[in-house]
Amino acid sequence: MAFYADKDYTVDQTVLEAAKKVMEGHLGLHWYEAKTERIAGHASDSRRGLTYKDLDVGSYGYSNIPEDVRTSQSMVSRGSEKVGKLPDMGYVVNRKSDVWSDNVAELYEEDKARRWVPATDIPWNELHAHPIAPGLEMACAQLYTFLQECQIVSMDFPSKWVALINQDFLEQKSWMCAQMLDASRLLEVFRKRALYGGAGLGRASVTAEQGLKEWLWADQFPQGSVSINLSLAGFLLVVYRQVAAFAPTNVDRAIMRYAMQDAGRQTAYGLGQLRYYLKHRPLEVNAMEGYLDHTEHALLGLIGSPELLEPMIIICGGGLEKAQVDQGRIATAKFIRLVVREYMERIAVAGLAGHANRSRIPAMIDRISASA
Amino acid sequence: MAYLSTTNFTEDKDFIDKWLYTIRTGEMDLSWMKSATEKISPEEANPRRGLTYRDLNLGTYGYTDIPEKVRANRSYAPRGAEIPEGVPDAQPWVSRKSELWAFNTESYYEEAMSRQWNATTDIPWEHLDGVELPEVTGKALSQLMTFLTEVEMIATDTPAMWLPRLNPDFIEVRSFIAAQAMDEARHAEVFRKRALTTGWGLMQASPINEMALKHLRDADSFSEMSVALHLVAEGNVLTMFRFSEYLSPTDVDKKIFRLVMQDEARHVGYGMQHFKYVLEHFPEKREVLHAHLDEAENISFAGAAATELTESFIILAGGGLKKENIEQGIRVTTQFQLKQMQEHFERLDKCGMPERKERSKLYMMYEMGRAAAESAGIKL
Repeated sequence: MAFYADKDYTVDQTVLEAAKKVMEGHLGLHWYEAKTERIAGHASDSRRGLTYKDLDVGSYGYSNIPEDVRTSQSMVSRGSEKVGKLPDMGYVVNRKSDVWSDNVAELYEEDKARRWVPATDIPWNELHAHPIAPGLEMACAQLYTFLQECQIVSMDFPSKWVALINQDFLEQKSWMCAQMLDASRLLEVFRKRALYGGAGLGRASVTAEQGLKEWLWADQFPQGSVSINLSLAGFLLVVYRQVAAFAPTNVDRAIMRYAMQDAGRQTAYGLGQLRYYLKHRPLEVNAMEGYLDHTEHALLGLIGSPELLEPMIIICGGGLEKAQVDQGRIATAKFIRLVVREYMERIAVAGLAGHANRSRIPAMIDRISASA
Repeated sequence: MAYLSTTNFTEDKDFIDKWLYTIRTGEMDLSWMKSATEKISPEEANPRRGLTYRDLNLGTYGYTDIPEKVRANRSYAPRGAEIPEGVPDAQPWVSRKSELWAFNTESYYEEAMSRQWNATTDIPWEHLDGVELPEVTGKALSQLMTFLTEVEMIATDTPAMWLPRLNPDFIEVRSFIAAQAMDEARHAEVFRKRALTTGWGLMQASPINEMALKHLRDADSFSEMSVALHLVAEGNVLTMFRFSEYLSPTDVDKKIFRLVMQDEARHVGYGMQHFKYVLEHFPEKREVLHAHLDEAENISFAGAAATELTESFIILAGGGLKKENIEQGIRVTTQFQLKQMQEHFERLDKCGMPERKERSKLYMMYEMGRAAAESAGIKL
C-alpha cells in the first residue's frame, strides 16, 4: 500500500468519542453554517433539463475556475467549504489551459443525450438476411479489427489521465468518463460486427499500433490530447464517413452513423482544447509545433497501414474485381487526401495557421493520392 | 515523449513506396486475408436482447477460454485477432484472469449500457420549482449531497486509473470499468445538481471521510482495489442510498436515489463476483485480501466518525432538530449503520470469506453496536 489513512479510526479514542457523542444526541452542527454561496439553481429551458451550464454560477461555476488551481488538491467538490486536514490526491494537471475547452460542458451533456446501445440499436439480423460476398466480408472484418485497435487506445487515453486531473475541473473529468464509455461502445460494436459477419477477426496492424502507442504515451495532456482527440478522432471521423458512404450493408451504415456522432464530439473537444491551450499559453506555440512535427508521422502509419488501406479499397470499390479495385483505389485516394486536409484545417483553426506549410505530410499525401 | 514508434513513417521509404504502388496500381498484398484466425457463426440467443457479448462467447473470441495467464497478447490487438511480430507492448499490469475476472461481467456491462440514464433530463427538476424545504432539512440534504459528491469523485478516478493497466484481452472487464466510470461521473453530477438546487448550495467537506477514502486509489493490485471499492465502499454507499431514498424529503430525491441505486448495485454485484472468483482461482490471495480489508474497513469507522455526515443523516431521518426528531433520527441512523455492517459481512460470507468475522474489528464493533441497539429497543 502506498497510502494509509492518517489515523487508525478503529483505535482513535477522540474520533470514537465524537461519534458516540453524536449518537447520544449531542449534535455539534459545525457544518450547519458552512461558508458557501447560497444558490437555488434551475433549468433555463425545462425541455433541455438542468444542465451544467445552468449551474455555471458564482463560486460553483466553471467560468470562474482560475488558470492556476492552487488551493484544491483533494476530493472536495468545487464550491464546498474546505475544512480540516484534507488529503492531497497528487494531481499533476492543475492548470485550466492544460485541459479545458470552452465546449466541454456542452459536449458532456450531448454525450449523455445521444447514448445508444450496440446490442439493440443496430439491426443485426439484416446482416444474416442479406449476406455479402466473402471477399467483401473479409475486408469488413479486417477494417473492424483495425478500428478495434484504435478504440482500445481511445479508451486508454482518458482513463490514463482522468485521475491525474484536478477535481476542480469536474465537467472536464465527467466528459473524459463519457469518452471512455464512447470508446467502449465503439469497441463493442466493431467487434460484434466483425464476428457476426462470420469472417472472424483479421490481423492486428504493426504500423498503426506503433503510431498509436507513440500518441497515447505523450508526456503531457495537451500533447496527448491533440494526438488522440484531434488527430486520431479526426482521422476516424473521415474513415466512418467514407465507410458510411460506401457501406456494403445497412448494418455498416447504421454503425457508422453512430460512430460519426461520437467521433464528431471527440474531435470537437480536441480542437477546442488545442485552441484554448494555444490562446492561453502563447509561449507553448513553438513547443506544440515541435511536438506535431515529431509525432504526426504516426498519422501516416495509420492511413498507410495495409490493414486499413486494402480493406478500404475493397469496400469503396464493392469487391475484388479489377474494375471494383480501380474504383476503390480512386475513392481511397480521395479519402487519404481528405484525412490530411481536414487534419491540417483543424490544426490551423485551432491556432497553428502555418503548420501545413512546415509539415512534411501534405506533400507526401498529395504525391500518393495523385498517383491514383 | 515516453514512447517512440520503432519507425518514423515519414522516413520509411519502403512503407511509402508500397503505399504509393497500391494506390497507383490497385495491386494489393492481401496477406491479412490469410490471417490464421477462427471463423465463427454467432447467433442472437434472444432477439429482444439484441446481439450481446455472451452471444459471441465462442472459441478464441470468447471470454470463457481466456487462459489464467495471458501470455499471447500484450498489444492493442483485440482478443482473437492475428498478432504479427512488431506490435508494441501496451505495458499492462494485470494479465492474470483471476485478478480481475468476475462471473457475469459481460452481462453487467450490457446492463450498464442499456440502463444509461441522464441526470439532466431523467430527473424531474421542474418539480422542485416552488418547493422550499425547512432550513434544517434543506441544509442537511445539501450536506449529504456534498459528501456524496466527494465519494463519487474517488469512485470515478479509482476504476478509471486501473483501466489502461488491464490487459486488452480482458475486453469485457475493461468495458465494465469504463461504464462504471461514467456511472460515477453521472452520480457526481446528479448530487451536485441537487445540492445546488436546494437553495443552500454545497456545504462542508468531510476530511475524515476523504482521508479514509484516499486509500481506495492506492491499492497494490486490482483485486485489492476492487474489494475496497466495489465491496466495502460501494457496499456501504448502496445501503446509504437505500436509506437515503427512504429519508428523501421530495419525490425528486427519491427518483435520484432510485436511479443511482441501480448503478451501485451493479458495481457491488461485479465486486462480489470478482471477490468470489479471485478467492476460488487464486487462493494465495486470500491473506493479502484479508490484510487489505483490515485497512479498508477503516473506511467504515471513518464514516461513522464523520459527524457532518452522521448529523445530517440524523436530521433527515428525524425530520428536524427538536428532541423527539433527534431521538427518532438516532434510531434510524443506528439501524442504518448496523445494516451497513451487517450487509458487508453477509456479502463477504456469500463470496467465500466467512472467517472474516473472526478477525475483523469492524465485526466486533457491529456486535457491540447491535447489542447496545437491542438493549435500547432498536431492532434491525
